Amino acid sequence: MALNLRQKQTECIIRMLNLNQPLNATGTANEEAYKILIYDKFCQNILSPLIHVKDLRKHGVTLYFLIDKDRKPVHDVPAVYFVQPSQVNVQRIVADASQSLYDSFHLNFSSSIPRPLLEDLASGTLHSESIDKISKVHDQYLEFVTLENNLFSLAQKSCYVQLNDPSAGDREIEEIVEKVASGLFCVLATLAVVPVIRCPRGGPAEMVAAVLDQKLRDHLLSKNNLFTEGGGFASSFQRPVLCLFDRNFELSVGIQHDFRYRPLVHDVLGLRLNRLSVQGEKGGMRSYELDSSDPFWVANGSLEFPEVAVEIETQLNKYKKDVDEVNRRTGGTDGAEFEGTDLIGNTKHLMNAVNSLPELTERKQVIDKHTNIATVLLGEIKERSLDSYAKKEDDMMVRGGIDRNELLGVLRGKGTKMDKLRFAIIYLICSESINQSEVEAIEAALRESEVDNCAFQYVKKMKSLNVSLASANSASRSNIVDWAEKLYGQSISAVTAGVKNLLSGDRQLALTRTVEALMEGKPNPEVDSYLVLDPRAPKSGSGTSSSHLKGPFKEAIVFMIGGGNYMEYGSLQEFAQRQQPVKHVIYGTTEILTGMEFVEQLTVLGQKMGLGGSVAPPAPTH
Amino acid sequence: MMMPPVKTSYRDRTQEFLSVADRLKKSLSSANNVASSSGGSSTKADATRSAVAIHSEFNKRASKIGLGIHQTSQKLAKLAKLAKRTSVFDDPTLEIQELTAVIKQDITVLNSAVVDLQLLCSSQNESGNISSDTTTHSTTVVDNLKNRLMTATKEFKEVLTMRTENLKAPPPPWANGSVSSSQIPSKQTDAESQPLLQQQQQQMVPLQDSYMQSRAEALHNVESTIHELGNIFTQLATMVSQQGELAIRIDENMDETLSNVEGAQGQLVRVYEKNALETYISPSFSCSWWCVIFILALEI
Repeated sequence: MALNLRQKQTECIIRMLNLNQPLNATGTANEEAYKILIYDKFCQNILSPLIHVKDLRKHGVTLYFLIDKDRKPVHDVPAVYFVQPSQVNVQRIVADASQSLYDSFHLNFSSSIPRPLLEDLASGTLHSESIDKISKVHDQYLEFVTLENNLFSLAQKSCYVQLNDPSAGDREIEEIVEKVASGLFCVLATLAVVPVIRCPRGGPAEMVAAVLDQKLRDHLLSKNNLFTEGGGFASSFQRPVLCLFDRNFELSVGIQHDFRYRPLVHDVLGLRLNRLSVQGEKGGMRSYELDSSDPFWVANGSLEFPEVAVEIETQLNKYKKDVDEVNRRTGGTDGAEFEGTDLIGNTKHLMNAVNSLPELTERKQVIDKHTNIATVLLGEIKERSLDSYAKKEDDMMVRGGIDRNELLGVLRGKGTKMDKLRFAIIYLICSESINQSEVEAIEAALRESEVDNCAFQYVKKMKSLNVSLASANSASRSNIVDWAEKLYGQSISAVTAGVKNLLSGDRQLALTRTVEALMEGKPNPEVDSYLVLDPRAPKSGSGTSSSHLKGPFKEAIVFMIGGGNYMEYGSLQEFAQRQQPVKHVIYGTTEILTGMEFVEQLTVLGQKMGLGGSVAPPAPTH
Repeated sequence: MMMPPVKTSYRDRTQEFLSVADRLKKSLSSANNVASSSGGSSTKADATRSAVAIHSEFNKRASKIGLGIHQTSQKLAKLAKLAKRTSVFDDPTLEIQELTAVIKQDITVLNSAVVDLQLLCSSQNESGNISSDTTTHSTTVVDNLKNRLMTATKEFKEVLTMRTENLKAPPPPWANGSVSSSQIPSKQTDAESQPLLQQQQQQMVPLQDSYMQSRAEALHNVESTIHELGNIFTQLATMVSQQGELAIRIDENMDETLSNVEGAQGQLVRVYEKNALETYISPSFSCSWWCVIFILALEI
């Protein structure tokens, strides 16, 4: 049974809306019970891609509010709270209860509420004598945002900066690792699986893996654990593998330009939580939703842009043909007469035609929507010559270098400052050794275009640190600088290996190759050194892992710490679909970043290290 | 193999919460003076009690209507099953007619109950005693009930239409004469059987006639019911606000969406009007025309 994260999370939310009671046999809620839904900003982001107002109404929710909004009493009605367990939220709940805003309070926290906060809640409500109002307190383990069936994000901002910050102390790093592991735990709890964990040694991935492993072990020991898989039958064929990676494993993916539809819409137009705002054709902003309910998006998200334009054209022609057909059948255009005797037959025709009109209207809406998006996209592509960037970056990654004149031509040509910076960084990453004169030429070109090159300096430093290292071994966390250096050792080796192993056809991402190897379960020098953790198995001192834990696996959950994007997601889905039989891969990350957002994080890191920056640093956007 | 237990991905912390509260209460009651705070809370309770009383009348009625709609839907399901049966012998015409009458009665009663509820809601809102959120809540509840009633009425109309089609379908060929053929003893000579056949055929004609007659009667009843439904339907349709059909996101700006919807609606209306005008309408078309009107009203 394939894991469908979106469906599972939606089910959990609906159950929560039903006050955590089982649904009726008919599958619809007991609509007689009307309720009010209150959430905080984070949980609003969880809910918006999954549930529309229409569905809320179906489950008896009449009103929905943000928790920090000023709210008036609605007596006699229960309230369902869905918030993060934070001090601020708890205080607000206590305030609401003391004002008797609602009849009863059903509190649902997106992750486990820590004991001190629970005590605060108890004492607060006791003091205001409103403790009888609190009906239920639940931990929902839903603290992640699911965008598509197989795509999720933990919505944890600036994770990459915090993990790679040279001034970060041990405690701060531990906090972040704990947060990431907690988010992953929520995902696993919702899917109700205990996977086998694999990750490269050294670096944040190993740290997160260790913490997560411990969490799962502790949890499985407790009495009412959330993972009710069949007994101790731990056949690795049934369990998925959780592959943890750090962004430094393959840095280029976060930076480069891609020319496929979905990554383009995200990177160029700013798709966020499946919602997009673009300039409409008649002026004024239009807001669109792009998710699994949009058939065109689902079918064509991974096509290159020119093919998408062709597909829109095809759909439009098909639509026109169908409309003509409908008009012909109902005699709309040529005024055919109906025979008066065959009333029912004619009514049927008419009814069929009218019934098909909504479907046709919907199809037209989808076509119009994508025509609008494609038009705006085309404008951006032409202005910034993004097709050229994408192609040249791809060439660079394949060949491991680029002709100097071509490189400088690009840097002096079209494109935003960010485009040029990204191009320069990709050059750094994919060239095997740093050619000092070329680098100086690049820096000069960047200065000419007034591009802030903090990020460039940062990557340059990373690369130079790496060159002096022999090999990356297991991390020692005592010295942060040492640990940071060991991270970089992994990234560069993976990238260059990726470049060298290329055959003709699509260049495969290093990530995809590694996941393929992990899922196949055959001995492979790249992944043999990876850590294997099985939270279900008793801790064995020697650390030898039984062979069944290494695969093969039918399902995988791939998690990227530090930021990911639609390009990685698309690549993994393509790989999974290509397999015989089809495999199933869920992709998640700490946050989904556009190229610009990621480079901004690199810039911040460059500034923290006191590198470069000929122009004033850009104002932070988040 | 036993079914795996129901998977739950949440943890109930209520017991833990209550035990923490108990523990704190014990330490509190020994330290604090509880009596001093009770005075303030009683006046608060009075104010809330009156507001609660007003509102619970609303709630009671709303849940009664909701329950009524649910029960009507169940009856509708039964009617749909009956209407699907097209056998000649076992035609449950009487049953169907009774059930149809009952459902029609239900819908009419529920319709007026919803109208009353809406009046109660608006009078409550105007009295100014209750908060704006409660107002919105009540309005939403009324809208929700209207939508559900409209859905039920729609379903009712569909079931009746299906029944109409079944009634209008030509009677099965064997209903004409084959019933009699089985009664002819095989030993009779042809000469003798001829007059017998004729006789029996003559007998069959009135049978056939009465069959057709009952069909026509049933058809007529159904059509008149549809006609009556039409009135209720248009009434509901004008009352229902647009909330039910829109795919609004929780984090979306309402105003923007509404303007888009109005634009889309305008388009739809134009399309339908265009199709309607170009259809040739005959006088006897009226019944089926009502069906079209319903659908048009539906889509708008």
